[in-house]
Amino acid sequence: MKFPRLRLSWKSVLLFLAVAGPGIITSNVDNDAGGIATYSMAGAHFGYGILWPLIPIMLALIIVQEMSARMGVVTGKGLSDLIRERFGVRITVYLLMAVVLTNIGNIIAEFAGVASSLEMFQVSKYLSVPIAAVFVWLLIVKGTYRSVEKVFLYACLFYITYILAGFLSKPDWEAIGRSVVVPSFTLTPESLGMIIGLVGTTIAPWMQFYLQASIVEKNIALKNYRFARMDVIIGSFVVTLIAAFIVLTCASTLFKAGVRVETAADAALALKPLAGKYTAYLFAFGLLNASLFAASILPLSTAFVVCEALGWENGLDKKFSEAPQFYGLYSMLILLGAGIVLIPNIPLFPVMYISQIINGVALPLILVFMLRLTNDRKLMGDYVNKKGYNILAWGTIGVLVVLAVAYLGLLLGL
Amino acid sequence: MSLELSVNSIKMDTSGHFLFISEILNRPVLSASGAAVGKLHDLKVRLGEAYPKIVSLAVRKRWKKEKYELDWGRIDRLESGSLRLEAGAENDLRPLAAGAEEILLREDLLDKQVVDTFGARIERVNDIHLLSVNRELRVVHVDFGYRGILRRLGWLRAVDRINQWLFDYRSEEKIISWKYVQPLLSDAAKKNLKLNVSARWLRTLHPSDLADILEELDRTSRTSLFRSLDVQTAAQTLEEVEDPKLQISLIESGPVELASDILEEMAPDEATDLLAELPEDQKNQLVRKMEKPSAAAVTALLKFKEGTAGSIMTKDFFAIAEDTTIGQAIEEFRRTTYPLESVAYVYVTAADGRLRGVATLRHLIIGDLNAPIGKFMNERLVSVGPQDNVEDVADIFKKYKFLAVPVINEGGLIEGLITLKDIMESQMDE
Repeated sequence: MKFPRLRLSWKSVLLFLAVAGPGIITSNVDNDAGGIATYSMAGAHFGYGILWPLIPIMLALIIVQEMSARMGVVTGKGLSDLIRERFGVRITVYLLMAVVLTNIGNIIAEFAGVASSLEMFQVSKYLSVPIAAVFVWLLIVKGTYRSVEKVFLYACLFYITYILAGFLSKPDWEAIGRSVVVPSFTLTPESLGMIIGLVGTTIAPWMQFYLQASIVEKNIALKNYRFARMDVIIGSFVVTLIAAFIVLTCASTLFKAGVRVETAADAALALKPLAGKYTAYLFAFGLLNASLFAASILPLSTAFVVCEALGWENGLDKKFSEAPQFYGLYSMLILLGAGIVLIPNIPLFPVMYISQIINGVALPLILVFMLRLTNDRKLMGDYVNKKGYNILAWGTIGVLVVLAVAYLGLLLGL
Repeated sequence: MSLELSVNSIKMDTSGHFLFISEILNRPVLSASGAAVGKLHDLKVRLGEAYPKIVSLAVRKRWKKEKYELDWGRIDRLESGSLRLEAGAENDLRPLAAGAEEILLREDLLDKQVVDTFGARIERVNDIHLLSVNRELRVVHVDFGYRGILRRLGWLRAVDRINQWLFDYRSEEKIISWKYVQPLLSDAAKKNLKLNVSARWLRTLHPSDLADILEELDRTSRTSLFRSLDVQTAAQTLEEVEDPKLQISLIESGPVELASDILEEMAPDEATDLLAELPEDQKNQLVRKMEKPSAAAVTALLKFKEGTAGSIMTKDFFAIAEDTTIGQAIEEFRRTTYPLESVAYVYVTAADGRLRGVATLRHLIIGDLNAPIGKFMNERLVSVGPQDNVEDVADIFKKYKFLAVPVINEGGLIEGLITLKDIMESQMDE
């Protein structure tokens, strides 16, 4: 796949703005509560040394998402749709179950993120979580694709809080530059585990389904495909930039002080004495925004994926009565996610743990399916993977599969 | 669709029995002596008959990518767990090939989307119901329901038992006769041929249902479905498609000649709305290709700005001079070949062409054949100007409850007509 140079004219800028959205939104949702926790831990435990892996991760993200975007534009069908048509109903249903289960885990994590970020501002979770659930539910049920996309795009802007927090934490730019240009990194089981964790949180199954579904919903024409690709590349770059700022904020404060954290809220709390209350508040606010954002998109994406594959009506432009399974599933996921967080003294760790394991099983399967689909000339016509690109894609996916399996091994304590 | 009803519609003898394709796919195919030949991979049917016959089976051999084909007649018997071939049939396997008007049930149909022309919606095929009579196997129904999915997963019996035990309930079959099923084949090489075979079913659908179906479909299937419609149906369907972006992508999907033919068939105001969304050069090219009268009407309408009465009016109206007799008017009405959007009113003009009044269809029917129409007309006219705001026109409709309102220019000449449908559509867009 060549990357033709975009001539920067008003027309192409406008066309890009019309097409942009799915890629940027999907990537930003990627920095959700779980992602922020992982980045905070990476920064706090490993310092600036853990920054460079973000660059290869970004490239892998671009390659994987480009394939989803291309499939969406060329076939006009969602990923689960294509998987069912090509690989049959049986594998599809089991895959969907896996995706639904991991997504439930993620949704719970998002509502937990809402709860803990607002607890920083002395808001009880018994107040914040129900309000957040109702807000998220209304947004989707009452909205149309266009209006919802607009809200989501604005939500992307709030990630800037992490960049501000990063500057406030007075990072050592010289050390950062050195660590990125000359990766010096001792490979220990812990650091390898951290890198695998970073990959796992950045490249998740739901993203490919969501990206492709929203591209289909947007009905992007084949001739505008290059703008959709631009959207994906920009999205992946932005998400990595934000991740890098989270890492460096924690690296320049928590790592120096030797503070260990386990969650994003931990990190925000720990930042208070070290980097000042404003950095901590910015951090917490970023977490709230990210959690809310992902809490609206994950249930939506899950509902899309399931309905599409099973042949049920779906889409934001349908009314409740036209797509009962779609909205029913969507509502149930929110109810479940928010409800579980509200159970007093619930240990969330086992839930997350199981969801991560299922994630590790589902991701390699989905990636391999994606490669086989994008190599299918009957489906993709002239838009099949080019030879060179295919080597790159198989290589990337090979590494990702190995990492996912290794992660699974780590989780299971093998 | 009840099962019994369809069974009666196909001649069957007492030995006939139903089975689902999921029950025989992947079953071992055995030679007469019982040696394994391979597994049943697919079934091929030839379209055309109401309930198409299986003509051959595709066999998959272990470790081989290629699939092999064998005529259905070479099967000796269908046993519960396997298919037994005639003696020597395993030597006649040939590489699988599907010709025109032939489809592979698994490859082309199972898990794919089809149009249910009975319910006018898109469905996904979960299973295929076959009828075995006299050593022949025919496709009779298609399963769209939960039960089809459960059956293919192998959970049906367990789920049924749980449902029975807990709720004393059995989920319903959602099964529909093959004659209402329109396959949408996505293989570019052969889809046009295959669609034509059964495209007649599509004509039984209302254009607005067809439009809904097109909006649902992915681009490839959408284009092939649209291209399989005749020009008139395509035009009516295009009028019903609500999303202007989709209208454009449909009209652009075919050659320019076809596009202009479709535009000619559309009501001029609808065609104009569509053209107005296109880039200038494309628009001009299409208008040039259109036949004279339609092109003129469209060009005239294109002059008006969006949001004005002129932009939503139609050029199809019926106007006659006031000294015309009722008999002549009826004759004139009969000779009007183009489809009138609204026949409710007859517009009556003075000798100089200025609009004088309006008569209704009722006057034409009950009036004295020799009396001039001018005698019956109502001179109290409510009209609008071509530059009037659409909102104001809508208010007139709300106030007077008219079926149509004429559009008059400064010279008092009638320019066009706005029908209740036009104004409704313009209001719904907002």
